[in-house]
Amino acid sequence: MLSLGRHDFGDGEALMMAIVNRTPDSFFDKGATWAEDAAFERVRLVASQGAEIVDIGGIKAAPGVEIGAAEEKARVVDFVARVREEFPALVISVDTWRAEVGDAVCAAGADLINDAWGGADPELVDVAAAHGAAIVCTHTGGVTPRTRPYRIEYDDVFRDAIDSTLGYAQRALDAGVAKESIVIDPAHDFGKNTFHSLEITRRLGEMVETGWPVLVSLSNKDFVGETLDQPVGERLLGTLAATSVCALAGARIYRVHQVPETRQTVDMVWTIAGRRRPTRAIRGLQ
Amino acid sequence: MTRVALVPGCLALLPEYASLDDPVEELRSACLAAVAWLNEDVRVVAGAQGARVASALLAEVGAAPTSSAEAAYLIVGNGSARRSEKAPGHLDPRAAGFDELLARSLAKPDADALGALDRGLAAELWADVDPIVESADLLRGVDTVAIDYDADPYGVRYWVARWAQRA
Repeated sequence: MLSLGRHDFGDGEALMMAIVNRTPDSFFDKGATWAEDAAFERVRLVASQGAEIVDIGGIKAAPGVEIGAAEEKARVVDFVARVREEFPALVISVDTWRAEVGDAVCAAGADLINDAWGGADPELVDVAAAHGAAIVCTHTGGVTPRTRPYRIEYDDVFRDAIDSTLGYAQRALDAGVAKESIVIDPAHDFGKNTFHSLEITRRLGEMVETGWPVLVSLSNKDFVGETLDQPVGERLLGTLAATSVCALAGARIYRVHQVPETRQTVDMVWTIAGRRRPTRAIRGLQ
Repeated sequence: MTRVALVPGCLALLPEYASLDDPVEELRSACLAAVAWLNEDVRVVAGAQGARVASALLAEVGAAPTSSAEAAYLIVGNGSARRSEKAPGHLDPRAAGFDELLARSLAKPDADALGALDRGLAAELWADVDPIVESADLLRGVDTVAIDYDADPYGVRYWVARWAQRA
């Protein structure tokens, strides 16, 4: 069982985590949902598209204007409360590395803390434990939040990702987060060049074999763009191809911009893998 | 009292071919109700695939095939699979007439007509009637309880029928 705050899921389910940016400058939507009402419309849309999780973020991952904890909270806390009230069936995730922000959003109704920066703030696990929230343990190679990878190399990037995410998961367990509420994420492009992200994708099955539920965040990222020489906005096909590989390996949660496209891709692969029935098969069986 | 039922050999009824949305939901519920109605040891009259369908349906209602002489009978057969251009065997204009004769003979039931069905034509029309022809004598001295299902949702004519020995 996977337990994300107020919501439980069976082991056979693949979940869509839709990205909702409360930022003026994120790379894909370029501020399209910066205004609160626009962000709320985005939540409404992805909920209607069947996303189980919304991942609300107040700070873009790439370097840029410094956003303090107070400003980050101003962007996400009340918004979380509003989503909680109007969409009780949605899992609310908040993309933050700060314990102070994690505490405030969990108090406002968040179920899951998506720490994309690999435990940079050591108190984040205590916040998750205190609120009974779930946590995503990512691998970043130890970089400082909001920095780009620069000449980072690993003896074995995959080994590093496994050791680091399992170490983080153990810290979460030790802090009192429930075992079924811990998710691991190799974090494509975070502390990784394109070759690293491709290897992580190729070897994702080994990560699934650890037994921890695996989240993948592939959507429109630079490793897709560089692999295919495609700009942001032209990366959906590459994203879905990478999604297929991760789905076949058994990744459980897909952090995405495009929900219906990813859902169809994952459902197709999940069914090929024998983890899901066809929706409606009659051809040749009449 | 002898009870006899007919269900089609539709493979979509098998659990290994189950979908998330059942494409034969109505047919399945009619089949299960008919099989449950047999209510005792059941002898199956079917070809190899039809026997698998029968076993699956019986298992679903907690029964199993038997060879007891006192049993009820479950016949697995169906009409033509060449009823339309979208049908598995495409359209054969003879299919409609063949199925209508079969429909009337089952509804009555007319054991003589069922026993005399043209099996050569049936083969050409992709109609699975051998178990019906072979068990036609079972339908002497019975009354039709109900034709629970009569439709061709996917180009194959299905019936779910129940008969019981005349009192």
